[in-house]
Amino acid sequence: MKILVIEDNQDLLENILTYLKQGGYRCETASDYDAAFNKIMSFTYDIALIDLMIPGGSGLQILRELKSARPQTGTIIISAKNSLDDKVTGLEIGADDYLTKPFQLAELHARIKAVYRRNNLNGDDVVRINEIAIHTKKMETKVNETVVDLTPKEYDLLLYFSSNKNHVLSKQTIAEHLWGDYVGHLDNLDFVYQHIKNLRKKLIQAGANDYIESIYSIGYKFNVNRRSS
Amino acid sequence: MKLFTKFLLIYLAVSVVVLGIGGIISYHIIKDEIDRELKFEFLDRIDRVTYLLEQGKTFAKFRELDQDENLVIVPLDTFKENDTQVSDTLIWDDRFERDEKNVKVSAFRNINDTTYFISTYGNMIESNDVREAVISILLWILGLQVLGAAGIGFVVSGPLFKPFRNTLHRIQNFQINEKEYLKAEPTNVKEFRDLNIFVEEMTKKAVSDFNNLKEFAENASHELQTPVAIAKGKLELLTETNLNEQQYSYVEKLETTLNKLSRLNDSLALLTKIENHEFSTNETVNISKIVKDGINAFQELLSLNNLHLVTDISDSIMLKIHPSLAEIMWSNLFRNAINHNIQNGEINIKLNSDYLEISNTGKELNTEPSVLFERFKKGEQNSESIGLGLSIVKRIVDQNAMPISYTTVKNRHTIRISLKSVKID
Repeated sequence: MKILVIEDNQDLLENILTYLKQGGYRCETASDYDAAFNKIMSFTYDIALIDLMIPGGSGLQILRELKSARPQTGTIIISAKNSLDDKVTGLEIGADDYLTKPFQLAELHARIKAVYRRNNLNGDDVVRINEIAIHTKKMETKVNETVVDLTPKEYDLLLYFSSNKNHVLSKQTIAEHLWGDYVGHLDNLDFVYQHIKNLRKKLIQAGANDYIESIYSIGYKFNVNRRSS
Repeated sequence: MKLFTKFLLIYLAVSVVVLGIGGIISYHIIKDEIDRELKFEFLDRIDRVTYLLEQGKTFAKFRELDQDENLVIVPLDTFKENDTQVSDTLIWDDRFERDEKNVKVSAFRNINDTTYFISTYGNMIESNDVREAVISILLWILGLQVLGAAGIGFVVSGPLFKPFRNTLHRIQNFQINEKEYLKAEPTNVKEFRDLNIFVEEMTKKAVSDFNNLKEFAENASHELQTPVAIAKGKLELLTETNLNEQQYSYVEKLETTLNKLSRLNDSLALLTKIENHEFSTNETVNISKIVKDGINAFQELLSLNNLHLVTDISDSIMLKIHPSLAEIMWSNLFRNAINHNIQNGEINIKLNSDYLEISNTGKELNTEPSVLFERFKKGEQNSESIGLGLSIVKRIVDQNAMPISYTTVKNRHTIRISLKSVKID
């Protein structure tokens, strides 16, 4: 998958690139309006990440140009402005998603995958992790053809793990993904543990390996190479 | 006191003083003029008597000439030089029964070797009459001036001060977040023009200061979020390396702290926005739906915390309030009730057309509950919350003129918000 990252802050750019390259993506970058404009006009990308505030112009303008020139490119707006106006305008122009700084790289990755699935595979994708198959259109999970009965939150959690295989995800990150803005102000993250416990139990019962690894009881990792003893 | 009333009072006070002094001066001038006329007439009369005497006419000692009852012509035995004296003298007045000031002219004239003493006195008008005339004239003038002042006042408070009142009216209706400076009506009065220019300049400056402040608040929020985003990303990358448990727990703690910083930043930016009246468009909002949606979103948390929820929510309560504010208000209240609850606690929610009430079990407070509406005031200082949730709620209800109360009875906390000012029937 080819991704264009339009972001003027070098450190943030480096974070995103490092994380995405680990996932095997081909990434290109643009750090101002002109560079971004040239890139979107010259090449085709699967996904473009657009920072709204870039030197030399507005990210919204880039979004407009991109949508008229290459409508098939998936777009995710990254903005530090948690302002409703920008969000509404961005989504009206045709951005596929909107992410507010500061975001988790794991979350960004999950969103990229979701947008890619929606745009390119018509939402009909089967995510496979060894013996586990997630049918995203039907929102159905199978382990070796056995259907696993997951709650919407558990399904979401599994999909999130699949997007960030082998990455360590802290409870905070998981909670923010599952609960969005609501969780930002909650002190007690025990409910994450509850969901992980249930998901793990259901997967093992259906015959899957125990992939979910607890990291010092602070975070979790979906380790695809892990074999249950 | 209205400007016009004050103006009229000052005008009348000055008029009374001026007219009083003017009256005294007028009285003296008139009196002097009359006396002088009288003196000249008496001198004329003496000259006539002298002429007649020279022609050989003789007079009785007291005799009338030109109806002058007071004329005295006496031949003297001794010789006196020709002399004329004018003096004031007090003569008993039968009519007024008092001494009245009269003009007296006495003269010595040598005619045919005989010295005559010729004298007469009188007054044309009594000083009383002069005084009365002057006072009555002045009263007339004063009366006319009152009428004139009232007329001027009417004009002044009417058409003349219209530009001033217009400007005042515009200032009263000026709203800083409308981004428009105050443009005044043109006027040809210099003072009003100066005022208008001043008001225009001032409101222009206020609007631009307001925008700068807003921009600053937004930029500050933006500029802060980026470094936080970088730090968070670096921490995420750090967890990918082989960390031991202690290192990992440090990273986790850092992440939590960064989240708190970012939340703090968001909340402060939100508070600034509310205070800057950026959410002033009033739309119709179904608060019943917002409350129910909020409850659904938190359902899982309730069961995880073993909290018992009791609701009494009327359907379709419509409020005139900004939808984002209504949502922020409710999620803050509800989250508060969950976060500060106790194990196996209870939350009661009541919504009807008069009020929205949420009460929950929790720890007993050591402080006055209303203090918690202040910024950064928390029930327990060491808790993870940032202490802005209730101040945001307070800001929102204040801006919509909704009275709020926070009461505690032992371990039960109750917040009630009156909806009367914003409800739509």
